[in-house]
Amino acid sequence: MKELFIILFSAILVDNFVLSKFLGICSFLGVSKNLKTAMGMSGAVILVMLASTALTWPIQIFLLNPMHLAFLQTLVFILVIAALVQMIEMVMKKTMPPLYNALGIYLPLITTNCAVLGVAILNITKSYSFLDAMINALGGGLGYMLSLFLFSGVRSKVDKADVPAALKGLPITLIAASLVAVSFFGFKGLVENLFS
Amino acid sequence: MLIQMALQIPQSVQNILIPGTVVLAIAALLGILIVIVSHFFQLPVNEKKDAILSALPGANCGGCGFAGCDGYAQFLADGATNTSLCSVGGAACSIELASILGVEAIFTEPKAARLLCQGTTACTQRRYEYLGTLTCNAAHGLLGGPGACTYGCLGYGDCMTVCAFGAISKKDGIIQVDPNECTACGQCVIMCPKDLLQLLPKSADVAVLCKNGWPGAQTKKNCSVGCIGCQKCAKVCPVGAISMTGPLAVVDQNLCIHCGACVPVCPTQSIVLLEKNI
Repeated sequence: MKELFIILFSAILVDNFVLSKFLGICSFLGVSKNLKTAMGMSGAVILVMLASTALTWPIQIFLLNPMHLAFLQTLVFILVIAALVQMIEMVMKKTMPPLYNALGIYLPLITTNCAVLGVAILNITKSYSFLDAMINALGGGLGYMLSLFLFSGVRSKVDKADVPAALKGLPITLIAASLVAVSFFGFKGLVENLFS
Repeated sequence: MLIQMALQIPQSVQNILIPGTVVLAIAALLGILIVIVSHFFQLPVNEKKDAILSALPGANCGGCGFAGCDGYAQFLADGATNTSLCSVGGAACSIELASILGVEAIFTEPKAARLLCQGTTACTQRRYEYLGTLTCNAAHGLLGGPGACTYGCLGYGDCMTVCAFGAISKKDGIIQVDPNECTACGQCVIMCPKDLLQLLPKSADVAVLCKNGWPGAQTKKNCSVGCIGCQKCAKVCPVGAISMTGPLAVVDQNLCIHCGACVPVCPTQSIVLLEKNI
């Protein structure tokens, strides 16, 4: 149980996918303009991270590893995740229209999101069990949500500030993102000590 | 026999064939799965809605009161017959929508947003130096903004940022609306903290371009083009289209006969002939 909590909180805070591993930066910059779209995107990311982990972990362990085809990992995972997102989109459109309206437009964005692929691959390289992998995926998604939540707040302040002309737009956004990322380094070593 | 054939294939070729086959098999499996899922979860296609959506201009401005063109198309497809709500498409769009729905087309007069303020930097002063966030809504929160006339245009362009059609520009400390570009979607009207933008018919010829609520003397002190409520225009109007709301003259565009008699009598030039082309 303690290990699961360590995995969950280190995925959210210490090894935050966006701010520590710098994965999924393009969607992070793209949808953090306002809080509502940020939360919609985060919801979709959590959903897809969980679903893709539930699918890619068994594929790696029961198919690729026994056949000594582990080197196909990246290719197969991309294939599986892309197809999975397509199917989730179709099922959601039919059965859960309100949820589809909230998350739907972000799902295609996630198809090739590196944070999602990152979760799937890290689960394997860290040789997690299936439960560990799912918790890691949940933590990764929640971490993405936290960083988007924080950054959309920062960004709405930056948009209103009087920024020098040379830094307007993307440059100041990237500088702000790097400062938020630096602040996350404060969590290093926190989780291990928290549960010891 | 297949196994015998497979064994005859050299090891180096097998090294490529096996992974290739596995990937292809997974891809084929996923392809089949997607086809199956899409078959079972197919949505009934609403042809009427698609036709309506393609007839709409696709500006997604929200001027119709719905969340984008899709919302309006859904509204019409669900049986509504009000085809005139799209101000961007105008009369042509209304006719096309009516022909799709098989109903009588409804027309509304084409409108354009007008700024009811002429307080350029040449006409009015500032009360204080404003150094805060450069938006109208923020400046308005600080004692009604830095302008000497607290009813006047602040000119930071909140309306400009919401205009999806680029019809609004800044000039001489106030904003100006290009009536040819304006589609009367009304987003700027909602945005303006001073409530200075109004949708007027494009055929309108005269309007009082002032919205202050002060007595004449105070207006005159703070702005050289403000309406001082002298009532000269109301008296000269042959059809009684100009009435006074408090100290301010207002033109009723439905009654106006476009004679222009009110314009020369105005002592402050606050009632003006509207420019049709800027």
